[in-house]
Order: sequence, then structure tokens, then C-alpha cells
Amino acid sequence: MDILKLIYDPFGSIGEGLRGLLTQLLVQSLGLPDWTVTLIMLIAGAGFLVAVATVTMMFLTWLERKVIARMQDRLGPNRAGLYGILQPVADMVKLFTKEDITPSGADRVIYNLSPMLVVLPSLLVFAVVPFANHVIISDLSIGFLYIVAIGSTSTIALLMGGWGSNNKYALLGGMRAVAQFVSYEIPQVLSVVGVLLLTGSLSLGRIVYAQNYVWFAAFQPVAFIIFLLASVSEANRTPFDLPEAESEIIAGYHVEYSGIKFALYFLAEYINTFAISVFATTIFLGGWQGPYLPGWGALLPDWLWFLLKSYAVVFVMIWMRGTLPRLRIDQLMNLAWKALVPLALVNLLLTGVGLSVMQVFGWKLNDFTVFPSLAVFLVLNVLMGAGFLAVFKPAHLPKRKVVLVSRSRAFEVTTTFTGR
Amino acid sequence: MDQLLLLGPEIILTVCALAVLTIDLFSAERGRAWSPALTLAGLALAALDAAALFGAPAQPVFGQMVVADAFTGFFRLTSLALAALIVFAAKEYIEKRTKYIAEFYALLLFVTLSIILLAASVDLIMVFLSFEFLSITSYIMVGYLRDDKKSSEGSIKYFLYGSVSSAIMLYGMSLLYGASGVTNLSAMAQAFAKIPAPMQSLVVMGILLTIVGFGFKIALAPFHQWSPDAYEGAPTPVTAFISVGPKVAGFAVLARVMIVALPHFAADWSSLLWAIAALSMTLGNLVALRQRNIKRLLAYSSIAQTGYMLIGIVANVANGEGLRGILVYLIAYIFTNIGLFIAVIAYSEQVGSDDIEDYAGMIRRAPFMAVAMLIFFLSLAGIPPTAGFIGKFLVFGAALDAARGSANSTLIWLTVIGAVNSVISVGYYFNIVRYMFFLPPKDETNVTVSRSLNWSLAAATLMTLVVGLVPQPFITFAEASVKAIFGG
Amino acid sequence: MEFVLFILFAGMTLTGAILMVALHNLVRAVLAMILGFVGLAGLYLLLEAEFLAAIQVLIYVGAVAILVLFAVMLTQRVSDPNAPVNNNQAWLGFTVALGFFGMLSAVFAPLKWPSLPEQSVSTVENLGKQLIGPYAVPFEAASVVLLVALLGAIILARE
Repeated sequence: MDILKLIYDPFGSIGEGLRGLLTQLLVQSLGLPDWTVTLIMLIAGAGFLVAVATVTMMFLTWLERKVIARMQDRLGPNRAGLYGILQPVADMVKLFTKEDITPSGADRVIYNLSPMLVVLPSLLVFAVVPFANHVIISDLSIGFLYIVAIGSTSTIALLMGGWGSNNKYALLGGMRAVAQFVSYEIPQVLSVVGVLLLTGSLSLGRIVYAQNYVWFAAFQPVAFIIFLLASVSEANRTPFDLPEAESEIIAGYHVEYSGIKFALYFLAEYINTFAISVFATTIFLGGWQGPYLPGWGALLPDWLWFLLKSYAVVFVMIWMRGTLPRLRIDQLMNLAWKALVPLALVNLLLTGVGLSVMQVFGWKLNDFTVFPSLAVFLVLNVLMGAGFLAVFKPAHLPKRKVVLVSRSRAFEVTTTFTGR
Repeated sequence: MDQLLLLGPEIILTVCALAVLTIDLFSAERGRAWSPALTLAGLALAALDAAALFGAPAQPVFGQMVVADAFTGFFRLTSLALAALIVFAAKEYIEKRTKYIAEFYALLLFVTLSIILLAASVDLIMVFLSFEFLSITSYIMVGYLRDDKKSSEGSIKYFLYGSVSSAIMLYGMSLLYGASGVTNLSAMAQAFAKIPAPMQSLVVMGILLTIVGFGFKIALAPFHQWSPDAYEGAPTPVTAFISVGPKVAGFAVLARVMIVALPHFAADWSSLLWAIAALSMTLGNLVALRQRNIKRLLAYSSIAQTGYMLIGIVANVANGEGLRGILVYLIAYIFTNIGLFIAVIAYSEQVGSDDIEDYAGMIRRAPFMAVAMLIFFLSLAGIPPTAGFIGKFLVFGAALDAARGSANSTLIWLTVIGAVNSVISVGYYFNIVRYMFFLPPKDETNVTVSRSLNWSLAAATLMTLVVGLVPQPFITFAEASVKAIFGG
Repeated sequence: MEFVLFILFAGMTLTGAILMVALHNLVRAVLAMILGFVGLAGLYLLLEAEFLAAIQVLIYVGAVAILVLFAVMLTQRVSDPNAPVNNNQAWLGFTVALGFFGMLSAVFAPLKWPSLPEQSVSTVENLGKQLIGPYAVPFEAASVVLLVALLGAIILARE
């Protein structure tokens, strides 16, 4: 096997090899029908995905702790292995050996089912993501819709966990998770509709191909920001981590879980984080393609470009966690319904305007006429951003006067917040 | 663009409703003064447009989903008139009871839109969607007084019955679609013309379930159980509306679905409707005899009235006269029933009760209103010279005509049942008249009525008399509309 | 293969539906309902209606069921084992349902259903074109219906 090909297209090479081997073994020797090979290939793909997901999750926990530590001027994990890289393994072992506790009065079926169900959608969504050219488990024609649909089921598991635990903090956390998820799903999906309009397809494979000249993040910067914010909120990450806000409701929906069940929740959370960056990469950042600069595309293998971009987005999310304080629940809802949803709708409208301009001049995404189109979209986006800031100027927002009275002297602190 | 123009009245209504909502959002006064005026302006504009479009040749709009023909035109004009009357009737009632004022008018505009869409539908998808539109808006309006327990109860009952019946209707429609492979009504008629014999039972099943759904929506016996509670609990202007609006729409749909799509199964559905009509008339009238609350009484009375009108559809198997009769009956029924409810609103606003006993001596307390109510009751009972007489005359006449043509005695029996029931209805209508005119009042104070209620009451009374005395233009109007269905 | 999947999804749908009516615990009943919804989505997939399947999951599992669950959790006596599941008309209802089922089976059994011609067009694209073409009026009407429902929800539920 060609080593270079193995590096540039590892999945394709291995897949081809495996398929050849299986065909020889099952179809030609044992006389089984063709679909058994496809079935085994699919199962192998799924197994591979689960393995990669677990490793990714472990790596992410390490990365997050390390980066946050640096931001807070600490060292982070540094005992187990080089730079503490084995710390997640130690954590895993610890979690696996912990006692499995079921609270009294819990609804056992629901309580035990929840951690399993919570991981399922997180893994399923990866089925339609093109990790590299032609490396995609199933390029569904409804790819994006599939992601949204499968993703939306994860809330049920959270709610089940929150309710099944028979704990008021858990129930509160579950309810918060659902309210937040339902609210942020709308701007998230709406922000991507602009991209779907540009591509003319829901298939993620075609969305990536449509970006071989210019990434959609350049076409739709506002939508990209909306998508990122909404997605971070859907993953319940800081600054939107109200469902598990430690200082308010201890740990939210997974407060009662311990041991391996807790580990499953943990797994789901980090896979979701990674999934968001993967979607942001695929939909807005050109997917597995290198930037359109002479020679850059072939500089690195596709899958490496993909990982680089994904981890860049992950880094931004860690960065947000390191710098931003948690929102209050009313601020959270206001941000979704009064800022992001209207903005996403306006973005949709302006995308339509931009598309009409493109149609009038016959400009396309896949040749050099993409650049004047890009200029049109950038102007529209700047206008939209300026308009948004003019309407939602911080000065317009209500102010709360906080008066601190000390014994020696009274002084006033005026704080600004987005809310009533 | 041409096709958009054909939908002019609908577009005007939608835009007007959105304008009412938007202005309310930004005006400091919460749109109190603006919204009724704006609503009326929108209704008038839509009516002008509808009148202008009335003569135009029938044209399907946007791929055969709705059609803008004279039949649609008839329902556009009548439902717009109905909505305008409700605006007058509701103005003070709503302002006094809830802070969501502009929203009420917006909902009223939307529900009018839904009636028009329903009458214009020529595709099962559109029929179902418009039915849901009408129902959802009606549920909201019935439960509009959120702090009133009866209003909420009525709304919930209406909602539960309504959603179940929607499901049944949809299932019936899916059977019709399964048997024909199309949803368009005229295409369905073509498919059914040469349907193989084993499939026919499927169609009959579909018809049965669809009619059950329709029956629930327009409160025909035995699917009427929700209606007295919904009528009693709803804000009275809304009661006025749902006693007329959904029925108007329901008859439009019945005519379109049964007569356009299912002429080859006329024998099946007409015998089914025969039974429903007979049951509605009898049950409505007999139960109405025992009612003490005027809103409940009118609920049962309207079940009976729907039964009379249904005779027209049954009779229509043979000729187009029955449908013409129904349309005239609908005009009469709109003005009579709404007028009656306006009087009820005005009177109970002062007296604070909907009990029939409290109508004692009304002639001394509100003479004009008492006379108006007398005229309305005459009309409901079908006594000349009122509109109700013309309606009943045409419907019963059509049934007798059809019976003569087909040597079919069932229609004669149905007419006889209708006539007997009309006599029964006189019993309870005139019981109220007896209270109003011949019993001493508990309280001698004059009942003062606001100007908007007075004017709308006068308009309704006038129309009831005009249709009764000069029926010809209305009959011509109805005839022109019916032609759209039978003319091709 | 297809038949096995059909049995699987149909079984899922029916199990979900039966459990939903039979379970005492309301939350579990809703979860059973979700199982039924997912089974239905699977059946749509078998009919090659991927879009519909995705919408089924998105709307019914992801939104409707969640809201139902939400509402159920806010009601009292959710998991009371003594809470009545049936009212005194349960047997009547069962009989009527059974009769209806018998009637439908009698009608359906001898039928040979007509089938629509196969369409090779991509479903999503085709759907989009249909929605802004022949189905433009219902599409717009549906959006107005949703607006009305939204308005109603605010009026009826807002404090």
C-alpha cells in the first residue's frame, strides 16, 4: 500500500482494503449476499466512530483543563504522563471504579436509561459529516436536517435524567436545559438556512464542495456568529451553562449520577462540544478543504485540515469559557428571542437579496465570479451588523443601580445588563 | 401577478390583521381607538375588492388549491358582512373585559380569512388546513376571557371535541385520497367516475368519516355535544360569531366536497345527511324547549337551524335549487342570529344575566330592542315577512321539487319533519316573546344601549326585513353563485 | 431486510402506542409515546420519505413530546401509582374502538391499493419546488395559522 496515499486518505485506503478483504471472504468464499459486506462496513464505521469519539473526548478534557489553566495563570494537570496527557485516563479509571448510586425514590427505568440515551444522539450526528473528501458514513440528501432532528432528541434524555433522579436540583436543571435548547435551536437553524440557500442543498457533502473558493464564514459572518453562540448554548457550555450551574443548582440534571453513568454524561457533553466545532467547520469554514490559496490545499491532507479547523473552534469555545461569566436566565432568553432570532431572520432576508443579485448577474459560487458576490454579501453583512448594533446599543438597555453602602462612605456602582 | 390579484380580499384581510397587531405593538394607547376602525376599514376594502371580483370568470389560483369563482365570492361578501357586524357587537364588550383588544380584532380578521379560504378550497389539503385554521382561531376566541372559568371550560371542551373530530375527518380524507390518488376535488370526481367496485366501500367509509368531522365542526346532531357549553362560556360576541361563521364555512365545504367531488356517491352521502338533518332538527328543537339560559337555547336552536339548511344539500342531489336555498337561508340566518345576539349582548350588559326569566317585561325597559328581538324570533321560526321565511321556503321548496322529480318519498318525509320542527320551535321562541311582552319586569329601569350596538342592531333588523320583503336580488345573487359550482 | 426493518419499526410504533395508553406513570407514558414517534419515523424512512422522517423526529420527538413532557412534569400526581388511568367508560371506548377496527378491516381486507408512479427526483428539492409552486397558498395559509396559534398561546397563557 502506498504510504503517501495512506497519509492523505487513510480512511479511504483502509476502507477499500477492508471492503476488498470482506468481499473476498464473505461473498466469494462463503457465498453470502452483497449487503452483508455493506452491513459489516457500516458497523465497523460506527465502531470506529465510537472509539474516535471516546479518544477525542479524553483529549478534549485534557485540552480544556490545560488551556483554562494557562488562561488563569496555572499549570493544569501535569502529573500523569508528559504534560499530564494521561490525566484523562486516570480520571476514567477513577470514574469506572466508583460506586454506582441510585437515589431512593428515583424512577429506576428512566434514571438508568437516561445516560445511555444522552450519548446516542451525540454520536449519531457524526454519520453525515464529511471528515475528508469522500469520507462520510452516509451523505444523506437531508444531511443538515438530520443533524437538527437527531440533535433535538438529546433534550429528552436530559429531561429524563433530571426527572428520574427525584431531586429538585436535577429537575430544575433538566427543565432549564430544555427551555434553553428549544430557544436556541431556532436561531441556530435559521442561521444555517442562509448557507443552505447559497448551496441549494441540505447535504453536508455538497455544502463543503460549495466552499471550495470561499468559506461561508466570509459570506455569512453574522450567521456564523449566531450559529456559534446558539450552538455553544445548546451544548450547555459557559457562558450558557445554566442547566448545570454549580453555584445555583449544584450540577443540574446529572447531580445524582456517579461512576460510569456520570462518565456517559461527561462523554456526551464533550462529544457535543466537538460536534459543534465539526459542524461550524463543515458549514462555515470550508470543511476538509484547505484555504483557497495557491498550493495551500494540498499542503496538508484533508483530514488534517479538518481537525485543525475543528480544534481552532474548540479553542474559541474554551476561550469563551475562560473569559465570560455565566448569563442570568432572563438575559439568556432575551439574547435568544430578542437578539439572535430577529438577527437570523434579517440575515435570511438579506441572503435572499444577495442571492437575487447573484442571479441577476449570473454569478456563481464555483468560479471566479464568487468574488464580486462575496463583496455584495460582505456589504450586506456590515449593514446588518451596524443596524443590529444601532438597535441593540448597550446604551438603550435598561440599567440597574446598585448601591453599596459602607460604614465610612456611600458610593454608587452602576452596572449595565441586558434585561428588564 | 394576475393570480395574486384574484386573492385580493384574502391578502387585504391578512395585511389588515397584521397591521392591527403591529400598530397595537407600537401605539401608546394600546390601539384602543385604532383597531376597530382599522378592522372595519380592512373589511370594507376587502368587500369592495370581493364585489369587484364577483363577476369575473372562475379561475383557479396557484395550482388548483383554491378557486376564485362566484361561489367563493358569495362567501367572501357574506363573511365580511358577518365580521363587520361582530366588530360593532364586540367593541364595548371586549374593551370592558380584557386587555387584549387589538388581538381580538386581529383574530376576528383571521377567522374571517379562514372562512373565505374554506369556501374557496377545491383541494382536500386546503380544506383540511382551512378547517384547522377556523377551528384554532375559534378555540382561542371562545377561551378569550381567560379569568372566566366558563369561558375556559367552553374553550377546552370545544378544543377536545374539535381536535378529535379533526383527526377523524383527516382519516376520512386520507381514505378518499387513497381511493382516488388525488386530492383535488374535481380530479377526485373524475377518478371516482370509473372506480372499481371493491374500492367503493372504501370511498363510502371515507365519506362517513369526513362527514362526521364536518358534523362536529358545524355542530350537527349527534356531534353537537360541545356546542352548548362553548356557546354559554364564550364571550357573547364570539358566541354570535361561532353560531354563524363555522356553519357558513361548513356549508360551503359540504357543497364543494359532496357535490363537486362525490357526485357518484350521492346516494350514500345523501341518505347519511338525511338522517343527520332529521336528527339535528328534532334533537335541537326538543332540547331547546327545556333551556333556561338564552345562550344555551340559541345553541340548540342553531343546531336545529343547521338541520333545516342541511335539507338543501340532501335535496341538491337532484338539482341546484337546494344549494341556492341554502345560500339565501345563510344570508337570512347571519343577520337574524347576529342581530339576536347583539340584543342579548346589549341586554345582559345591563341586566347582568343570560337567564330567560330576566327577559320579563323587556318591552317596557327596552322597547326598540324587544321589537327587534321579536322580528328575529319570527325569522328564526320562519314566519313571513322575515328573511327566515324566504330561506325556509326556498330550502323546503327545493326538497319538494326534487322529491317530485325523483319519485322519492324520503325527501318528502324530511320536509315534513322540518315543518313539524318549525312548529315546535315556535314554542320556545315565543316563550321568550311571552316573557318579553306579557310578563311584568322585575326591575323597571330603562336599558340604555351604546350607539355602536344600537346601529348594528338596527342594521341587522333592517336586513332581516329587507331579505324577507324584497327577496329577489338575494335569490339572484345566490343563483349566480351556485352557477359557479353547477355551471362547470 | 426491508421486511425485518418493517416489523421492527411497526413493532416499535405499536408497542409505544399501547404502552402509552396502558402505563400508569404519566412521564413513562409520554416516553412510550416518543418510542412510537420514533418507530413512525422509521416507517417513513422505509417508504423513502427521508425528509418526512427527519421532520417527524424534529417536530414530534424534539418539540411536541418535549413540551408534553414538560407540561406533564409540572402537573401534580404524575407518578402516583393509584392515579386512575381509565374512566368508567373505558370498556365502552374499547368496544367502540374494536368495532371501528373491525369495520375498517372488513373494508380494507379485499382491497388492492393503487400505487403512485415512482419518482426519481430528489425529494427535498422537489418538495421545495412544490411548496412555492402549486402549494403556495396552503403554505402561506399554514404560516398564518401558526401565527394565530402563537397569538392565541400568548393571550391564553400569559399572566
